Amino acid sequence: MTSFAPPRERSPLAGAATALALAGLVGAGLWAARRPQPRPQPGSALPVETARQPAARRARQGGMLLAASAAIDGATEHYRGGFHRWEMYLGPAASIGALAASAMQAAMPRPLREGLLLTAAGVGLAGHAFHARNILDRPGGVCWSNLFYAAPIGAPGSVALAGLAGLAATMLERREPEMPHRRGRWIAIGTVAGLLGTTAEVALLHFRGAYHNPAMYIPVTLPPIAALTLGAAAARPSPTRLRLAHRMLGATAMMGLVGTAFHAWGVHRNMGGWRNWQQNLLVAPPLPAPPGFTGVALVGLAAIDLLEASE
Amino acid sequence: MISQGSEIRAKDGRAPDVFSRDGWVAMRQYREAEEVDVAVIGTGAGGGVVAAKLAEAGLSVVAFDAGAFYRPLADFASDEREQDKLYWTDDRISGGDDAIEMGSNNSGRAIGGSTVHFQMVALRFRPEWFQARSRLGYGRDWPVDWREMWRCYDEVEDALKIAGPVTYPWGPKRGRYPYRQHELNASAQVLARGAEAMGVDWSPCPISTVSAPRGKSPPCVYRGFCKIGCSTNAKQSILNTYIPRALAAGAEVRDLAMVGRIETGSDGRATGVHYHRDGEWRFQKARRVVVAGYSIETPRLLLNSSSPSHPQGLANAEGLVGTELMVHSNHAVWGVMEDEIRWYKGPPSMAVCEHWNYDDDKDFHGGYAFMSQGPLPTDFATSMVKNLGVFGMELRRRMALYNHMAGLKIVGEVMPTPANRVELSEETDALGLPLPRITFRFGENDRKLSDHALRFMRTMHEAAGARDIFETAGSAHLMGGCRMGFSAADGVVDGAGRAFSCPNLWIADGSVMPTGGGVNPSITIMANATRIAGHMIGAIARGEG
Repeated sequence: MTSFAPPRERSPLAGAATALALAGLVGAGLWAARRPQPRPQPGSALPVETARQPAARRARQGGMLLAASAAIDGATEHYRGGFHRWEMYLGPAASIGALAASAMQAAMPRPLREGLLLTAAGVGLAGHAFHARNILDRPGGVCWSNLFYAAPIGAPGSVALAGLAGLAATMLERREPEMPHRRGRWIAIGTVAGLLGTTAEVALLHFRGAYHNPAMYIPVTLPPIAALTLGAAAARPSPTRLRLAHRMLGATAMMGLVGTAFHAWGVHRNMGGWRNWQQNLLVAPPLPAPPGFTGVALVGLAAIDLLEASE
Repeated sequence: MISQGSEIRAKDGRAPDVFSRDGWVAMRQYREAEEVDVAVIGTGAGGGVVAAKLAEAGLSVVAFDAGAFYRPLADFASDEREQDKLYWTDDRISGGDDAIEMGSNNSGRAIGGSTVHFQMVALRFRPEWFQARSRLGYGRDWPVDWREMWRCYDEVEDALKIAGPVTYPWGPKRGRYPYRQHELNASAQVLARGAEAMGVDWSPCPISTVSAPRGKSPPCVYRGFCKIGCSTNAKQSILNTYIPRALAAGAEVRDLAMVGRIETGSDGRATGVHYHRDGEWRFQKARRVVVAGYSIETPRLLLNSSSPSHPQGLANAEGLVGTELMVHSNHAVWGVMEDEIRWYKGPPSMAVCEHWNYDDDKDFHGGYAFMSQGPLPTDFATSMVKNLGVFGMELRRRMALYNHMAGLKIVGEVMPTPANRVELSEETDALGLPLPRITFRFGENDRKLSDHALRFMRTMHEAAGARDIFETAGSAHLMGGCRMGFSAADGVVDGAGRAFSCPNLWIADGSVMPTGGGVNPSITIMANATRIAGHMIGAIARGEG
């Protein structure tokens, strides 16, 4: 039996979990920032060569995360939609293809990998068109109802990003005498676009959820800041700018992982909570979605590696 | 086992925790001999709001309700007949040319009142309606500034976390609804397609069920049993919003407590209430009384509270109590769609068209809104039996089309008419209280309005692709009976809800509405109760209450 306390909008447990997650986020960000950056030592191998391999690895990891996120999220959402059009198999299938291409770097012939990654990029872009058609076919056309509840216009972008990140990784694996900062710039531009596009989708869906939990503002503020710092670093690289961008991307990567915990909390807040997981995994905040941010941020860190090397 | 609502639960210092299956929250209790600051009669859209607001202002409050204190998670079944327990189905004598059917569409008997089973539609009045007589030429003016009501709507919409559209096509600019619109069900999309074909605006309907988590309320899961009581607590009713607030602020709620009479002293002031609970008549002393029993029970109680200082009934010096009772016309068109609609999914009214509330180019006074529909099977079958007279194999054939049906139904404004009223009859109920006699007939303008609506909706329904269209007639909601007025000759209570002929008596329910408007009344009743509570608190602070 409770006392005469006013009824709470949020449970104390939710508050504690939110605080804990935020503290973890900040702590992890600080920890990431404190980690000494590998600096090319005088007399060591070519600085460009030392940066290329970790950059390729990061981009590949980012691509894998993006592909896994897109595959699970897409499969779940399209399962919810009953796969009532055969095209709905394409997105998850292409994501799995991209995941395999990035994960089996050694085991798969390069042309096959590149083919799978290009396919994912193409399927993702085509997905936007399919989702746009779904929106336009409904009464009201482009209106809030349809942007909220019809096929999400931004979601297929994660399949495309998975493909592009994988392609960036394959590009970095090649030993080509191209200037690393040029590659770094291209990857940075792609990362900025990916961060902003993902943020737009999150902003729309969190707006649909009325930002009922203040933590829902984090993924619409932190990633654009990270995008801004990365853009600045790519435009005119300097150690300060690169360090700042590195920190913000690290924080964004952490945020993506913590986001899944928040979404797990969101599942609990639906009718029946986790006991009713079969229903709530479909209607609650999607668990696989937030790590998409981690994937994009990892690709961004690859860009930083290259830009630092060319400094 | 499902509760039949016959056990007193709010006692021994505790009340049911409505967010649990069997839990309790602490409840302050007052002795009957203790003169409490305010006795509130009724805990619905009017009384529930007033009880919470007054208790939060630090006043000692006891709120009475004839209904039971339910815990939705444990007590509500997905069964239409079981949930009849939520309606006020006591004997009443209902007559006149268009006798009102009392029950599910216009009454509630539970803590939380009819908001426990309302359809959750949360539409504001059109601003001009508060000056219907002087600006639109019909009905009456409210002794209320529409902007004050607008602020109270804001407060109530936030208290209920109304899930509404980002942009609303009609009326003056309003702030953003606290929660976002829900996904439209197929039934609502029929209205949307029809409206687009006809070139009129449509909108997702602002409704009182959350589209995202809120406290202990999970987001709506679209079960579609809203109209017989939401069993998940996603619906934001008075029962799970204002009542917990009232209890937390120290109000006492007495369930299964039927108030039969308000006592008045020789100076004409109210001194307390006689109520029946646990098998006996009891008396609670109070400095002030707020009546919120809705348009039948409020007049009945006042008329039954005559005394030497109020010989014609309490607050009835001018004989206005019980007069100008209004309903909403609730006519509808129904049709069969090619596609499966499954209209039972989700809240019943997810799309709305208020075109004829805001367009004045029409041959009748007043306006109407219409909404997409999703009646549960028994409800729909009953409506076909009554309106079409179908039965047997024909009824079965029609019900087999249930999953392909779509419908449009109006909430149509009915003109206030003195002859439509509530009186006391000679007959008495089991408690010895006189039964109310209700007389109602639609007027000429009311018929013009419903004819217009049926024509328009039939065309729209055809444009949306419906075939085998048929119409039904009906009524819903109650308004008026103790209207607010500018003077004692003009109304039972003033614009602050205080009775002209009894200075410590207030009325704060739908009965004070001078006109009915063309929208569902619950949120207007809540906003008006918010306003009245604010004026009461101010008056008491100034020593004038």
